[in-house]
Amino acid sequence: MRTLLAAQPTPTYAAEIEQFGRLVGLWKIRITQYSPDGSAPRHADGDWEFGYALEGRAVIDVWRVPSRAALAGAPRAAGQECGLCVRIWDPRLQLWRFTFHGTAHGDQVQMLARQIADEMVMERAEDGRLIRWIFADISKGSFSWRSETSCDGGRTWRLDQQVHATREVPKAKRA
Amino acid sequence: MIELIAAPSSLGLRPDAPGIEPGAWRAPGALLSAGLAARLNAVGVTELEHPRYEFEMQPATRIRNGLSIREYSLTLGDAVGMALNARRFPVVVGGDCSVLLGCLVGARRGGLCGLVHVDGHCDFFHPANYDTSSRLGSVAGMDLALATGRGELLLTHWPHVGKPLVADDDVVQLGDRETETSAMDGSWGTVLDTPIRQLTVRQILGLGVEEVAGRVAGRVAARGLGRVWLHVDLDVLDQDVMPAVDSPGSPGLDFPSLAELIAALVAATPVIGVNVTIYDPDRDPVGRYATQIVDCLVAGLGAAPQQGVRR
Repeated sequence: MRTLLAAQPTPTYAAEIEQFGRLVGLWKIRITQYSPDGSAPRHADGDWEFGYALEGRAVIDVWRVPSRAALAGAPRAAGQECGLCVRIWDPRLQLWRFTFHGTAHGDQVQMLARQIADEMVMERAEDGRLIRWIFADISKGSFSWRSETSCDGGRTWRLDQQVHATREVPKAKRA
Repeated sequence: MIELIAAPSSLGLRPDAPGIEPGAWRAPGALLSAGLAARLNAVGVTELEHPRYEFEMQPATRIRNGLSIREYSLTLGDAVGMALNARRFPVVVGGDCSVLLGCLVGARRGGLCGLVHVDGHCDFFHPANYDTSSRLGSVAGMDLALATGRGELLLTHWPHVGKPLVADDDVVQLGDRETETSAMDGSWGTVLDTPIRQLTVRQILGLGVEEVAGRVAGRVAARGLGRVWLHVDLDVLDQDVMPAVDSPGSPGLDFPSLAELIAALVAATPVIGVNVTIYDPDRDPVGRYATQIVDCLVAGLGAAPQQGVRR
């Protein structure tokens, strides 16, 4: 499947693709999951890899919890997530179309995304709620991500999950 | 110089019956056939395509035809923006009230713009005032909420503008008939809790058109607005004189009063363009109302061509 990945964004929409393209690479992630009942948050570690795809018209990523390294060669258990996200810039909508396919629980998620100030805001509406996944504080070495839910049309938001990501530097570069 | 832009869209309306697209998209054709372009001395006519109406829910949104409306709004925005750049006065003929979003997208490319929203309803449904799980939202009942930045990102964040298309303080709503009725359940009424200025249809009938236009002009001046978009939903007319709309009602204006109101607003405020919406030829099988609408618009916009110089 060499045709899936691409080395660079398409020049046709290079500026738009780079909104997510700046995340290309491998990241170590620390996940914090909050409970609506206020009980103690839970933590997990994983890895998150982004790359250009589809002749540079898309940015895809693979989300793995726990990380491949943490499995130490053991096979991933059925309930451990290894999911695929696909983001495609839609010039007719001037928005990103996003899909997530989880292999652990059969999750399928569709969202729409747009850069707002320095954040990449992804949103979907379902069952009377607005749900946002937001990339923020993006730098070369780190970024944060959070999942929020609003049950009052966007007046207030409940924080559901946070991720802190740090870029993995390839071994050759470390030397 | 008037540029007529035909926007034959019913995307913002719920189906009249399962599988039946509402007929508002036929209005531009009916009004052009009734001589609207010639009667307005339009220097150009831009006819947008009739967008595909989808009966099924679109992905990631609880708004009916939400993705299609965004695409159509951007296309309409291009047409409005080009007309304004050419120093023309765009007259956008819908279609349903969802075309307001595209008009404002185009108008905002030239800078800040106020909105005078002449409509028998305030079109203020948004996720904070109704249960979005109970039904798909119809933009024709949400256009003012979306224009002021309330609702899904899909229809509130726009290229070159961001959010909102127009600030609450820069909106005057004229003609709502629900606010003062017992049918009011509080949801539409949230407009009363905002800085949006409103004169109901009963207030307009009581004050008279000249006084209403004067008050709007005062608000526009107080806000320092050099540009204003005018939205005219024909359901502000009383159902006795105009039943061929999606949601007819009483009380309302008559055709001469609406023409007078449009003319007074164009004369008293810096209107850069207008959209006219919701006439449904399917509810007017003998074509009784198309000529009256054309007469009304010609009387109301007669002074517009000389004023269409602000971009």
